[in-house]
Amino acid sequence: MEQNVWFVAASWMALALAASLISVRFGISVALVEIAMGVLAGNFLGFQTTPWIDFLASLGAGILTFLAGAEIDPDSLRRHLRPSLAIGMASFLLPFLAAWAFAHGVLGWTWPQAQIAGVALSTTSVAVVYAVMVESGLASTDLGKLILAACFITDFGTVLALGVLFANFNGWLALFVAVTAVTLYFLPRLTRWLIGTLGASAVSEPEVKFLFLVLFGLGGLATTARSEAVLPAYLVGLVVAGVFLRDRVLVHRMRSIAFALLTPFYFIKAGLYVSLPAIVTGVAVIAALLLVKIAAKFVGVWPLARACRLPPREGNYVTLLMSTGLTFGTISALFGLTDGIIDQAQYTVLVTVVILSAVVPTLLAQALFQPRIPLAERDAAVAEEVPPLPRAAGTGERSWKPEEIR
Amino acid sequence: MSAHPIEQRVAAPNPTGAPFRKILVGFEGSPGAWRALAQALRLAASDGATVHVLTVIEHLPQYAATVGEMEEALTEAERQAALLQAEVRHAADLAGVRVETVRRAGHAAKTLVDYAREGGFDLLVLGHAGHSGVWGLFLGTTCDKVVRHAPCSVLIVR
Repeated sequence: MEQNVWFVAASWMALALAASLISVRFGISVALVEIAMGVLAGNFLGFQTTPWIDFLASLGAGILTFLAGAEIDPDSLRRHLRPSLAIGMASFLLPFLAAWAFAHGVLGWTWPQAQIAGVALSTTSVAVVYAVMVESGLASTDLGKLILAACFITDFGTVLALGVLFANFNGWLALFVAVTAVTLYFLPRLTRWLIGTLGASAVSEPEVKFLFLVLFGLGGLATTARSEAVLPAYLVGLVVAGVFLRDRVLVHRMRSIAFALLTPFYFIKAGLYVSLPAIVTGVAVIAALLLVKIAAKFVGVWPLARACRLPPREGNYVTLLMSTGLTFGTISALFGLTDGIIDQAQYTVLVTVVILSAVVPTLLAQALFQPRIPLAERDAAVAEEVPPLPRAAGTGERSWKPEEIR
Repeated sequence: MSAHPIEQRVAAPNPTGAPFRKILVGFEGSPGAWRALAQALRLAASDGATVHVLTVIEHLPQYAATVGEMEEALTEAERQAALLQAEVRHAADLAGVRVETVRRAGHAAKTLVDYAREGGFDLLVLGHAGHSGVWGLFLGTTCDKVVRHAPCSVLIVR
């Protein structure tokens, strides 16, 4: 009997809603919980994907990548260009080559399978790094901005590798490159013009539709050239980052659409193909690949961090943070699986390593190498812009009123 | 029945008799926190101490997928904390005491202890939150942890 599309959609959305509730309750990223939901649904509830779910999931990955590119602060990147380029490139290249070599030479994976391993484990999670730095007070310091800029360079390397390594070098690729270059050149001005002329008044969201049009069009060209749609999505995000920095409403709208409807399908699907038996049998490989990733990050990043005059403690901290990964790691692994490059067991190994790399280096960095930031430096960076005292806004029940304190 | 460890540690205002010079209040807007603030303001008024009120922003999403997810949670938490701190300053004005309000993201107990240590405070004032017995028994409250690790005297206000 053919499945009712509405019931299928409802069951996936039920998982997404449950993930949101758990995420809010326990303060864990909704992405991680959605992946976990996918693992449960795939291993115990018999969930499967359909072509329309695959499409929504691809769209989710594309918009996530676009948002990741758009989150960069162009001024900060310009200010820290040289050290962030050096650290970011080393942070991509060394783990990419090391994981590739290890997967091919030690694990016996084929050349393309090992390349997928290299790409998936080369990533740095900007979001994980940012979250840790907010809690340590580093996010608003110069060191924090340098680290974030370096993370964007690493992710750019990852996305570029994914887009180029498996592409067909033919006329379609040339056309894709040419159209992308022209689009990227005109896009910031066009987007600003659209927002300026229509964005403030039109309720039909023309600027959001315009960005979707660009992403879909370039995504179509990329996949025709056997490249990956996330490559143009990241580039489009990068060039409109300046616009997004000023227009927070547009960012909010794009984010709402993505997180409510698209990314749940992506993350649940990413978890769906994780096989629990394959985790058990592959535990040694998982541990080895995680070690390879972190060790390669240390070889690549640590000396450069020291060369940038970071003390050893801060150097260790930066290196461990740059060993984290999540979104791009799962995107790369899922690309390998859906294109038939890797099998489900290999996918399981890679996604598990990626998720562990979000957690393990973060915990180590926080526990052992938290930088000591003087109060003055830390608090100088915190804006003290406080909204006016609310007259009617209740702050909940309390036994003391401000007026009663005297 | 023996008293909860916290109850055993509730301190009277400076047992050494020396006046407090620098008082830190952990404040998250609960009824207990308002009682702690009131006590701290009274102490500050009598001892001539300076008062810092620290609001710790907790429960930000760990291991986020996008910076935006974190930013949105942080912005909302910052907004809530800023509103609370505006009320704190208003209350301090009424009490005739000057306070400094600070917001920080992180683990509540650790952030309070670190701030007290870095700032050289000689008294940390907290309100008792009143968790259930089972919850407090297994996990411990913020007060438990602060009392255990604080570098200065701690006053838990019930």
